[in-house]
Amino acid sequence: MTTFAERPKIAVPRQGVEKTSLGSQFVKTITSTDHKRIGYLYLATSFFWFLFAGVLALLLRAELARPGLQFLSNEQYNQIFTMHGTIMLLMFATPLFVGFANVIMPLQIGAADVAFPRLNMLSYWLFLFGSIQAVAGFLTPGGAASFGWTAYAPLANSTYSPGIGGDLWVMGLAISGLGTILGGVNFITTIFTMRAPGMTMFRMSIFSWNVLLTSILVLLAFPPLAAALLGLESDRLFGTHIFDPANGGAMLWQHLFWFFGHPEVYILALPFFGIASEILPVFSRKPIFGYKGLIAATIAISALSVAVWAHHLFATGKVLLPFFSFMTFLIGVPTGVKFFNWIGTMWRGHVTFETPMLWVMGFLVTFLFGGITGIILASPPLDFAVSASYFVVAHFHYVLFGTVVFAMFAGFYFWWPKFTGRMLNERLGKIHFWTLFVGFHLTFLVQHWLGIKGFPRRYADYLATDGFTGMNMISTLGSFLLALSMIPFFVNVWITRKSPLVNCDDPWGYGASLEWATSCPPPRHNFTSMPRIRSERPAFDLHHPHIKTEGH
Amino acid sequence: MSSHAPRAGRLVRAAALVAPALVLLSGCSLKSEDISGMGFPKGVSSVNDISISLWQGAWITAAVVGVFTFILIMWPVFFHRAKAGKGEFPKQTQYNVPVEILYTVIPLAIVAIMFYFTVVKENKIIDKTSPVQHEITVEGIQWSWQFGYPEAGSKAVVTGTPANPPTLYLPRGESVRFTLTSNDVVHGFWIPAFMIQIQNLPGDVNHLQFTANKLGEFPGRCNILCGRNHSQMIFKVKVVTPEKYQQYLDSLKASIA
Amino acid sequence: MAVVYYEVGGESVGITGMILAACLAGMVGFYLWFTQKRIGFDIPSDDLTAEIADDAGELGFYSPHSWWPLPVGLSATAMGLGLIIGWWLTLIALGALILSIIGMVTEYEKPLPTSRR
Repeated sequence: MTTFAERPKIAVPRQGVEKTSLGSQFVKTITSTDHKRIGYLYLATSFFWFLFAGVLALLLRAELARPGLQFLSNEQYNQIFTMHGTIMLLMFATPLFVGFANVIMPLQIGAADVAFPRLNMLSYWLFLFGSIQAVAGFLTPGGAASFGWTAYAPLANSTYSPGIGGDLWVMGLAISGLGTILGGVNFITTIFTMRAPGMTMFRMSIFSWNVLLTSILVLLAFPPLAAALLGLESDRLFGTHIFDPANGGAMLWQHLFWFFGHPEVYILALPFFGIASEILPVFSRKPIFGYKGLIAATIAISALSVAVWAHHLFATGKVLLPFFSFMTFLIGVPTGVKFFNWIGTMWRGHVTFETPMLWVMGFLVTFLFGGITGIILASPPLDFAVSASYFVVAHFHYVLFGTVVFAMFAGFYFWWPKFTGRMLNERLGKIHFWTLFVGFHLTFLVQHWLGIKGFPRRYADYLATDGFTGMNMISTLGSFLLALSMIPFFVNVWITRKSPLVNCDDPWGYGASLEWATSCPPPRHNFTSMPRIRSERPAFDLHHPHIKTEGH
Repeated sequence: MSSHAPRAGRLVRAAALVAPALVLLSGCSLKSEDISGMGFPKGVSSVNDISISLWQGAWITAAVVGVFTFILIMWPVFFHRAKAGKGEFPKQTQYNVPVEILYTVIPLAIVAIMFYFTVVKENKIIDKTSPVQHEITVEGIQWSWQFGYPEAGSKAVVTGTPANPPTLYLPRGESVRFTLTSNDVVHGFWIPAFMIQIQNLPGDVNHLQFTANKLGEFPGRCNILCGRNHSQMIFKVKVVTPEKYQQYLDSLKASIA
Repeated sequence: MAVVYYEVGGESVGITGMILAACLAGMVGFYLWFTQKRIGFDIPSDDLTAEIADDAGELGFYSPHSWWPLPVGLSATAMGLGLIIGWWLTLIALGALILSIIGMVTEYEKPLPTSRR
C-alpha cells in the first residue's frame, strides 16, 4: 500500500507510477481511506466555511456601522447571524478539529491509519452534505434559519419560524452531527488500540491526549444535540408538543441545548490547546512543562464541562445559581493551570519566534483576556448585568477566535511542511499574523464596553441617540482589517506552491512528537521506519540523542 | 529560520497591543462615574448597590491576575530568547511539583473567594419573598412590552409597539415586585443601567424585586432573540417621585374607567 | 456530581444528563479496566521497554480505497432531506441506505470456505 517515496528520474513514466490528472486525483480523493487525505479534505472544507461565515460577519458589521438599517432587513440580519454562528461553530471549528486530529494523531501515535478508515470517509461525507443542507436554506424563498444558532423554543418551531430554511437547518445539523460522533468513535478506538510499541498512554503527545478527551466529550455532547434537534423537527413537521411552552418546553430546550452547547465549546478549545502544547516545546527547545499535570488538568476540564451548562441559563431565573456558578469558577482553575504549564515550557528556554510560535503567542494573549471575562461572567450578579449583550459576544469571540483561529494558523504554519513537503514563507506569515492580531482586537475589544453600555446581542439596528455609533464604527473597521489579513495567507500559499521541497523529516529542527520522525509528507501508511519510543518526544530523542530529559 | 527581533520589532509589538486600547477609549465618551463604576452608574437601583462592588472587585482581581500572567507570558519573549552565545539547548526541565501545586492552589483560592462574595450577593438580588410596596406585571409580546399596574386595577395595562415603545414608570425609593410572563416566545427583560435582567418565559412565570433609587430615564431592551423585530423591542424606564407615580396610577385608572 | 446536583435540588434534564454522562465515562473506564485485566500491559503499545520490531509483521488490513462511504453518506443525507421534501424520498433513501450499508460492511468479505456445488 505504500506510494513511491521518490519522484521518477526518467522522462518516460514508469509502470505503476500514479496518474496525476485532475480526474484521477478527484476519484482518488473521493474514494480515499487515507486519514491524511481525508484530514486535508476536512481542513480545506472547514476553512472554506470559515471564509463563508466570515463574509457573513462582514455583512453584519457593515450593517451595524451606522444607526438605521442600511442594506439589510431585520429578517435578513437574523438569518445572517444565525448562519454565521452555526457555520463557525459547527461547520468550521468542529470539523477543523476532526481535520487536524485525522492528519496528525495517527502519525503522533505511530499508527498506520485510523481504526476505521472507511467510516472516516463516511464521517466526512456526512459533514459535507449535512452542512450544505443547512446552509441551503439561503436558497429557499423563506431564507435560511433565522432563530439564532441556539434555536430557542418556541421561537424555532413552525409557528414562529415557518419556512423550510429552519427544517433544512435542523436536519442538516443532525446529519453533520452524526458524522462528528462517528469521527469521535474512530479517534478513541485508534488511540486505545493502535499505538506503536513503546507508545504508552503517558508517552503520547499532548495533542493526541486532547484528541482523546475531546472525542469522549463529542460522544457525550452530540447525542443530546441530536435528540433535541430531532425533537424540534418532530414539533415542526408532525405537530408534536415536545417543546411546547405549556409543557415547560422553553426551559427544556435551553437545558438540552446547553447540555450539548457547553461541552461543545470545550470540544472546540481542547484540540487547539493541544496544538499550542505541541508548538511551544519545539520553539523553546525544552520539553512541555508538567506533562502529567497538563493531562490531569485536561481531564478535569473535560469532567467539569458537563456540569456547567446552566451558566448560559443564569438569566432564566429557573436554575440553581450557586451550583453552576461554583462549577464554572472551578473549571477556570485547570484552565489556568494549563496556562502556567505553557508559560513554564517557555521559561528559561531558548525561545525563537518563527511564525508558528508567533501565532501561539497571539493565542495565549487573546485567550488570557477571554478567559478572564469568562470568570467575570461566572458570577450570576455580574452575569445579570451583561448577559446577552455585546459583552458576551466579545467574551466568546475572544475565547473561540483566540483559541481556534490563532491555533489553527499556528498549526498550519507548523505542519505545512509535514502536509505538503514545502515551507510557507516566514515574512508573509508575520504580516498575516500582525494584521490579523490588530484587526481582531480592534473588532472585539471595544465590544466589551458596548455590552456594558447596554447594546444587546442579535440587534440589527440601534438609534443614533443610543451612543453606540462610535464603538460600532471602530468594530466594523477592525472587522474589515481582519478580513484583509487573509490576503497575505492566500498569497503565501500560492507563491510557495512550487518552492523547494524540504526533503527532511523535521525542518524545524527540534520537533518532539513522532510525526517529525517520518518524511515530509509521510508515505501512504505513515512510517517506513520508526525510532524507538522511550519518552513523550521520540523524534527529539532520535535527532538529539545526546540530550537527556531531566526532571527538577 | 529564527527571527531576529530588533528593537523596532519590539516597539511595533508593544504598539500593536496598546493601539487598540487607545482607539477603544477614543470611541466612547467617558464620564467620571464610568471610571469608578467601571461602566455602570452608581446608586440607581438596589441591584447596583449590591452588584457594583462585586463588579469592581472582580475586575480588580482580573486585572491583577491578568497583568501578572501577561508579564509572565512576555518575560520569555524578551529575556529567554535563543542567542548564539547561550548554546543550543537550555536545561530540559520537565516538571516542578512545588510550583505546579502553587499555581493550582492559588487560583483555587481566588475563585473560592470570588464565589463566596457571589453567593452572598446573588441571594440578595434574587430574593422574591420580602415584602414590597408595589407590583407591576411585565408581559413580553412579539414585538413590544405590556406593563400592567395591578394597583390601578386589572385593566391598567400599557402596551407598546415597535414604532412606539412603552414607558415603564417606577417610584423612586420604593420596592417593586415584577411578575414576568410571555405571550409567545422567550423574551429578555433587561435594564442595563440597573445591572439586572431576567427572561420572560412562555408557559411560566418569573419574579424579580428591586428598588429604583435615582430619578431619570433609562433605556430598557429585550435581549433574547424573539424574531423579526427583536431589535425594536425596546422600552423606557422612567423613575419618578412616589407622588408622581401615584398620579400616574390615578391617570391610568381614569383612562380605563 | 449527579448525586450532588440531585441533592441540591437540580432539575430532571441535568440529573439525567449527568447520570448518562457518568455512565458513558464509566463504560470507557470499564473497557480500560477489563482490557487491562485480560491482557495486562503485555502488548507492545503498553510496554515501556518495547522495541519497534516487537510489532513487526502485518499490522492489519487497511482498505486501500472504497466507493461505499459515498452512497452511505448520500442516502443518510437524503433520508433527512426527505423529511422535508417528501416521504417518497425518505423511503427511497432508506432503501438505498440499507443497501449501501450492506455493501460497505461486506465489501471485503471473502467467500465462505464451503466446497462449490
